[in-house]
Amino acid sequence: MYAVKSVAGAMGLGLIGFYLGLGIVAVLRWLFGYPDPWGGEINIIGGWVLGVFLWLMGIGMWGMWGREWFGLKTYQRNLPGWQRYFTFNTDHKVIGIQYLVTFMVVFFLAGALAMLMRAELAQSGNQFLSNSQYNGTMGLHGILMVAVAVAAVIGGIGNYAVPLMIGAQDMAFPRLNALTFWLVPPVAVGLLATPFLGGIEHGWTAYPPLSVFTNSSQVLFSLSIITFGLTSILGALNFIVTIIYMRAPGLTWGRLPIFVWSMFATSWIALLYTQGFAAALLLILLDRLGFSFFEASTGGDPLLYQHVFWFYSHPAVYIMVLPGFGLALEIIAHFSRKPLFAYKYAVAAFLGILGLSGVVWAHHMFTSGMPNYLHGPFLVATELISIPTGLIFLSALGTIWLGRLWLKPPMLFALAVIFNFACGGVTGIFLADVPTDIHLQDTYFVVAHFHYTIVGGEIFALFAAIYYYFPKMTGRMYSERLAKLHFWWMFIGFNATFFLMHLPGIKGMNRRIADFQSELDPLNLTISLAAFLLGASFLVFIWNMVYSWVRGPVAEANPWQVRTLEWQTTSPPPHENFPAPPVVRGGPYDYGVPGSIHATFPSAPSAGFAGAPAGGGQ
Amino acid sequence: MRKPMQTGLIVAAILAVLTITEYLFATHVGDDLVRFLGITVSALGKAVLIIYYFMHIYRLWRPQEAH
Amino acid sequence: MALATAHHEAAHAPAHNHLAINRAGLWLFFFSETILFGLLLSARFYLEGIHREELNQALGLLITVILLLSSVTAYTAETAIEHDNKKVASWYLFFTIVLGLIFAGGVAYEWSIAHFHRSESFGSIFFTMTGIHATHVITGVFMLILVWAQALRGRYSSKNPWAVSAVVMYWHFVDVVWVFYYPALYLTK
Repeated sequence: MYAVKSVAGAMGLGLIGFYLGLGIVAVLRWLFGYPDPWGGEINIIGGWVLGVFLWLMGIGMWGMWGREWFGLKTYQRNLPGWQRYFTFNTDHKVIGIQYLVTFMVVFFLAGALAMLMRAELAQSGNQFLSNSQYNGTMGLHGILMVAVAVAAVIGGIGNYAVPLMIGAQDMAFPRLNALTFWLVPPVAVGLLATPFLGGIEHGWTAYPPLSVFTNSSQVLFSLSIITFGLTSILGALNFIVTIIYMRAPGLTWGRLPIFVWSMFATSWIALLYTQGFAAALLLILLDRLGFSFFEASTGGDPLLYQHVFWFYSHPAVYIMVLPGFGLALEIIAHFSRKPLFAYKYAVAAFLGILGLSGVVWAHHMFTSGMPNYLHGPFLVATELISIPTGLIFLSALGTIWLGRLWLKPPMLFALAVIFNFACGGVTGIFLADVPTDIHLQDTYFVVAHFHYTIVGGEIFALFAAIYYYFPKMTGRMYSERLAKLHFWWMFIGFNATFFLMHLPGIKGMNRRIADFQSELDPLNLTISLAAFLLGASFLVFIWNMVYSWVRGPVAEANPWQVRTLEWQTTSPPPHENFPAPPVVRGGPYDYGVPGSIHATFPSAPSAGFAGAPAGGGQ
Repeated sequence: MRKPMQTGLIVAAILAVLTITEYLFATHVGDDLVRFLGITVSALGKAVLIIYYFMHIYRLWRPQEAH
Repeated sequence: MALATAHHEAAHAPAHNHLAINRAGLWLFFFSETILFGLLLSARFYLEGIHREELNQALGLLITVILLLSSVTAYTAETAIEHDNKKVASWYLFFTIVLGLIFAGGVAYEWSIAHFHRSESFGSIFFTMTGIHATHVITGVFMLILVWAQALRGRYSSKNPWAVSAVVMYWHFVDVVWVFYYPALYLTK
């Protein structure tokens, strides 16, 4: 088993690198005459850097990439079957599935943490978690879910589908793509190790001064997130170049599937803003080492952190939700059997959100004590975002209007995205308006709002995409009945949990705190029960996926009779994606337009591919 | 090779001049606004020169080079 | 979309398009880095306004000139490789490495004589900005050394100039950052 040996070896190398890094920093500290060479958090930083580097080299980057730096010949091991998922594989389909499975595992872990929190919150007073344990659970749930939201759709579905949709053989930088995935395991290990150093006490936002004075798990948190930011930036760079340069002949910007457009806009946001989170946490690390960016008594300013942090972390919500919108529009168009309504406006909306995303960040800071003259501009800019968002809704509703809806599981989830995000959008108005926000800031109203947008908008879209692409990825079909059961169960559980959560928020129940007033007991008990209902729905999903992947019936190449390119090849696609390079002749959504063809394969060896299903769905 | 090298040397000379200008603005100009503008314009000019002539940004929107 | 002019040939990225793809990727990396450096620059003015502690002006001017000079030598190396002048290219890569090391040494010396401490807010800003910039310089020197070692063995030519172009572009980018950091740290009042 080469894959097992390779992963174990890389882990060993990573550990050696970690301790070597600790030691090198200790020697340096000793040379420069510091009193305590081993005791500093700077040792952990050195260990992290060297450990991650050696882990990457060990997992296969050395053979495929590192040797080139020294003028040596590179080599790649092409392993069969499941083993390729455990090596430095450059195939975008393999990487997409690696991302997807990894982040589904992280999603369920973080979901279990949420169950733990709801169990604690079922009653006022402390049940079985101490306050600091609750903080650690909450912080870990938050940051893991943020990681899932940022990377599951982009890394998983994006990597898998975008090159196929644009008729390319692979991403523009395949090795970089593999690198971005293999940076994820150290991030996961780093974050999951935080409870052993005392737990994240500051939530995922890591505001100073707490994050400067808290326990050393903060260092692991910062290092993990900086590394994760690197993944995000490099992945975004790869998508932008791929979408610009790798499109099939004839696939003009006006014919691009809408999901590809959403990935394009998202990637620009990720490329330009992710540095903010990394920079903010870098400054926190430096402050922990004795600098004073955020220490007010020596001229620093804690608000600086919030500005730098939200400069990324507000655009981050668009990184999360735009691909979700793209998927929802994509699926709604295909399953309504109609051309996508207002395609150009939807594209303009994605680009408009890209433009606006950078100028709204301080609406997270209305109560922070920033200058009052900033309130108005940020209020207005924030509400302006509802215009492009409205255009996306226009496009979705116009497509559904008089369509012949085919209520398969992907379509159900895509329709739920529209419903949920409408709720999330409406509650967002209260949080964007300064007067109401001052009352609602830091209550469960905020928690309900962002779960409606991110879970309701993005995670539902993620499940839509999983049910949409499962036959393409695995070559097998899942049980539609279980999928629909999962949908209704999750939809009801989700709406029950998070709709009710608005109510204690309005009454002023603070988020991030393990205890609350006992008057809110019945409400919180109901929310907890609804949350357990929501959590249990995923058991259906897991069973359906695992069983179908192993034992499911063999799927057709194009089970949904869809026109876009990824369905015009076998399920799963061959390594080079298409039997022959495709040539695009028309738009992707022209259902019912007589004589329209999306793509042909001019030099296809077998006649079966020559444009055959391109007009599908009549 | 002579022509691009000439370009490079001319750019280098302008960069030197701009650096000196910037320094003199900082040390000898009392008025805050004039000093700020002088320094900013010099810095921007240097950046544009390097980005255009040294980093060849125009190659991004030129499909292929001659060589 | 000006960037997309070459896309018709690019369907499956044939070899002649790799250069354009690599270049676009590198530029996007620069855009992203610009935000990081820009955020630090904004943090400097956010925290301190235009206030500044006393610094060694002669040293500041000297290392600025040295870094600009190293950009010229890097430019020469790239031009030389594009004209198959391998010997000149190797020598100028070497000069660039030396100048880069002198610059890093200059920053280290400035650190050692600084009369402010990192626990003051100007100190925080100064050491972070110069430190992150110097980290990029050192990384650039490492990459230049790798490329130089290959250039000595004659691996690059006008048909295969990308590695040299890439590292030289990176070097210029680091220089552009310093073009803004130098006045922000040394020349404000």
